[in-house]
Amino acid sequence: MSTTALSQFSIPLLMGNSLNAWSDALAGFYLFGLPLGLVIIAAIPLVFIALYSLTYGVYGERKISAFMQDRLGPMEVGKWGILQTIADILKLLQKEDIVPASADKFLFVVGPGILFVGSFLAFAVLPFSPAFIGASLNVGLFFAIGIVAIEVVGILAAGWGSNNKWSLYGAVRSVAQIVSYEIPAAIALLCGAMMAGTLDMQKINILQSGSYGFAHFFLFHSPIAWLPFLIYFIASLAEVNRAPFDIPEAESELVAGYFTEYTGMKFAVIFLAEYGSMFMVSAIISIVFLGGWNSPLPNLGGVALNDWTNGPVWGALWIISKGFFFIFVQMWLRWTLPRLRVDQLMYLCWKVLTPFAFISFVLTAIWEVYRP
Amino acid sequence: MSEYFGNIKTGAVTIATGMGITLKHFFNAIHRKGDAGLDDVDYFRQVDGLCTLQYPREVIPTPANARYRLYNKIEDCIGCGQCVRACPISCIEMETIKVAPDDLAVCGKTSDGQQKKFWVPVFDIDVAKCMTCGICTTVCPTECLYHTPVADFSEFDRSNMLYHFGNLTRLEAEAKRRKLAEIQAKALADKEKKAAEAKLEKKDGE
Amino acid sequence: MQELDTAGLGSVRVTRQSDTVVILEKDLATEQMVLAMGPQHPSTHGVLKLECLTDGEVITQAEPYLGYLHRCFEKCCENVDYPAVVPYTDRLDYLAGMNSEFAYAITVEKLLDIEIPRRVEFIRVIVAELNRIASHLVAIGTYGIDLGAFTPFLFCFRDREIILGLLEWASGARMLYNYIWVGGLAYDVPADFLKRVKEFVDYFRPKTVELCELLTKNEIFVKRTLGIGIMPADVAINYGWSGPMLRGSGVKWDLRRNDPYSIYPELDFKVPVPDGKDSVIGDCLSRHLVRAWEMDESLKIIEQCIDKMPSAEGFNSRSAIPKRIRPKAGEVYGRAENPRGELGFYIESDGKSTKPLRCKARSSCFVNLSAMKDLSMGQLIPDLVAIIGSIDIVLGEVDR
Repeated sequence: MSTTALSQFSIPLLMGNSLNAWSDALAGFYLFGLPLGLVIIAAIPLVFIALYSLTYGVYGERKISAFMQDRLGPMEVGKWGILQTIADILKLLQKEDIVPASADKFLFVVGPGILFVGSFLAFAVLPFSPAFIGASLNVGLFFAIGIVAIEVVGILAAGWGSNNKWSLYGAVRSVAQIVSYEIPAAIALLCGAMMAGTLDMQKINILQSGSYGFAHFFLFHSPIAWLPFLIYFIASLAEVNRAPFDIPEAESELVAGYFTEYTGMKFAVIFLAEYGSMFMVSAIISIVFLGGWNSPLPNLGGVALNDWTNGPVWGALWIISKGFFFIFVQMWLRWTLPRLRVDQLMYLCWKVLTPFAFISFVLTAIWEVYRP
Repeated sequence: MSEYFGNIKTGAVTIATGMGITLKHFFNAIHRKGDAGLDDVDYFRQVDGLCTLQYPREVIPTPANARYRLYNKIEDCIGCGQCVRACPISCIEMETIKVAPDDLAVCGKTSDGQQKKFWVPVFDIDVAKCMTCGICTTVCPTECLYHTPVADFSEFDRSNMLYHFGNLTRLEAEAKRRKLAEIQAKALADKEKKAAEAKLEKKDGE
Repeated sequence: MQELDTAGLGSVRVTRQSDTVVILEKDLATEQMVLAMGPQHPSTHGVLKLECLTDGEVITQAEPYLGYLHRCFEKCCENVDYPAVVPYTDRLDYLAGMNSEFAYAITVEKLLDIEIPRRVEFIRVIVAELNRIASHLVAIGTYGIDLGAFTPFLFCFRDREIILGLLEWASGARMLYNYIWVGGLAYDVPADFLKRVKEFVDYFRPKTVELCELLTKNEIFVKRTLGIGIMPADVAINYGWSGPMLRGSGVKWDLRRNDPYSIYPELDFKVPVPDGKDSVIGDCLSRHLVRAWEMDESLKIIEQCIDKMPSAEGFNSRSAIPKRIRPKAGEVYGRAENPRGELGFYIESDGKSTKPLRCKARSSCFVNLSAMKDLSMGQLIPDLVAIIGSIDIVLGEVDR
């Protein structure tokens, strides 16, 4: 299957168009004995996060929320307010960088850093295109699940270091929430891994390619695949602290949760980390269940839509648009639903999602073994 | 057990309903509601859509009877001082000078033909204090004091919120006051003279 | 209600089921933390400060601190004439100015013993009920925000905007109307006003359904409010609760019915109380539902008033207003059903002055808030937010 998928790549580029060709070529690029190529590989997701959170993340969310609420949203800076985020960034840059006198200065400063690194590291194993992946690990999915947990350390450091009671509440809530929700999330992803039989992100993608487009996606692979898909989506909301699970930063309860005391660029970094995680979980769900960089369009007889819309550049487009779709759903949920309470959050995790995740795990296993 | 699944079901259904509503509004965002005022006949026939008005360029129209900025049409003001007494927060300050008899024509009449008997050199309204209750306008006998529908009159400097409506400059006021004082002094002198004369006559009569 | 002895238990988390207290958790004695919630907190609805003693997220004690918005209403009243008090009453409950004016006007009219033209009464009821809807829209919308749902809030404000526009058209101001005067009205309503109000009622009915689907029926919202902050009826009466708070506890008490004033006896409307099917009687959800139902009843009242409205021919809205209000010596207590409960004015006149000798306002929010300590004991912080939101305080009326 993998060879047939690769043979469809039709857009020739300087670096070749075979699997991981771009990233391999970049990794081998040295300038004066310095691994400049690796730096570029690392910079690509960073630039991507920055660009996407500037455009879609902040501006898009403001506009989407506005339209859902019968408002116009930002309109003043630039045409339709498209330069609003730039203005916000300029404002944040000019803000005084306050470290509260009674804060634990070390933790207060490193907190946002750890938070950002946590969400950024997972981008290493996200295949942005058939020809590009930061690090082609054979345990890529496992790495992605595991590395997110680092964020907890950052949140705890930020919340504890602020020496603010609201921040502390937010941090403690957040830790309880993220640690709990990793269990259903991981089990749900395991269902996907079982269907694929591998943890390698690129291989998971390749296994979902085929001429029927979306029909090859794992979501349609078995009759119960929608269950782990749904479970992972709900759990991922909690993992990235999005509504209705935004209790660590519940603005009407905890003022702003763990980042109450942050100002200026530290605040911006926390924001960036949040948007990074949002895309990260959206990309993971689209890779594991919705074919990642594969085109969802099927070949219809002579109209070879699938062949035409597959390739390294198309792949990047598909995975980003799939990720953006899930981010849209996250925003949509956020602007619809009230917030859960702490104990209800735990109820949902331990009494609903986890049992159903186990059920779907067992059913997927049975399906995989006795597949007709 | 059935309660458990029932809860999950109602949760899913109500969340889906809510999301349907927000999505409907999202797709409805291509429409924009107009900026008609409530006094417009077609107010409720406007399309249902985004209802933001971009403030300085588009404003919510204020009806003609809206009570916002206080204004005094000083030509009609007779200086009776009713408004000053009625104002619950004393935001109106007023000084009057009696018009000298030979100035009555200069001082003129109000638009309804009433002879004005006072100059009003100072008629200051502190619109920063004014709470637009409208009590001063109801007591005004000539209806020269009224609220205009101008709702936005913010200022950077608070002293600009003190509106001066007086119909005399300070120098003019000084002149009028002096004139009045002279007339009064003259009248007083006349009176005294008359009194003295009367006394004298009385004396003579004895 | 059963008294709870918390001595020696350390921290407890309790819930109330009708009249018994059930301890959910106890013996969790950990270090307690003082948490100052407010006066600058997003969900204290103004400048309320709650000093909470917390054990983890469980609140063992909450003490409201008031007075940040004290503006000497009662002293101001002693220094201005009777008609000039009206703009001050607007500023008590600034979300329902018309209702406050209404309460003050009927109190002074009682003292003066004057007859009011019928059309004035009808217009008063229409604007007061419109203002009640506007006020409940704010209550429901901000309650959504307290629980994390932002969108219903903006939908509520979109519709409230129309009501404010209507009232501005009638009275000239958007929030601080000075429209209902002692003995009459400032002006008659504009020519097309009643037609437009009728159109508004038709416009607004589907919006309430949408709001209900979006917020009230939402399972997360229900779970956040159901069984939280339960107030049994007898305790509510002992605290002196009134309005939707008391009706939320299942007591059918509405001054428009129980101490009728104006033309309310002629109108057909229900006093909604929770039946215990959708909610636990006396909990946050009941209070929220009562407000939602009351909006429907107010719409009904407005429709009836428009139908029964006497014609404007030969009508002067100021015909019954005395030239000089100087009541004979005496005292009077008048009250009216405000969106937040009973707003009462106690006015004493010395018979000589045109200014009240004493004007005391009995504020519904203040009385409702006094139960905060009892309601919040043993609740979680998110529940405390839900309880404050369900009390629907307006600090202007609490502090006066």
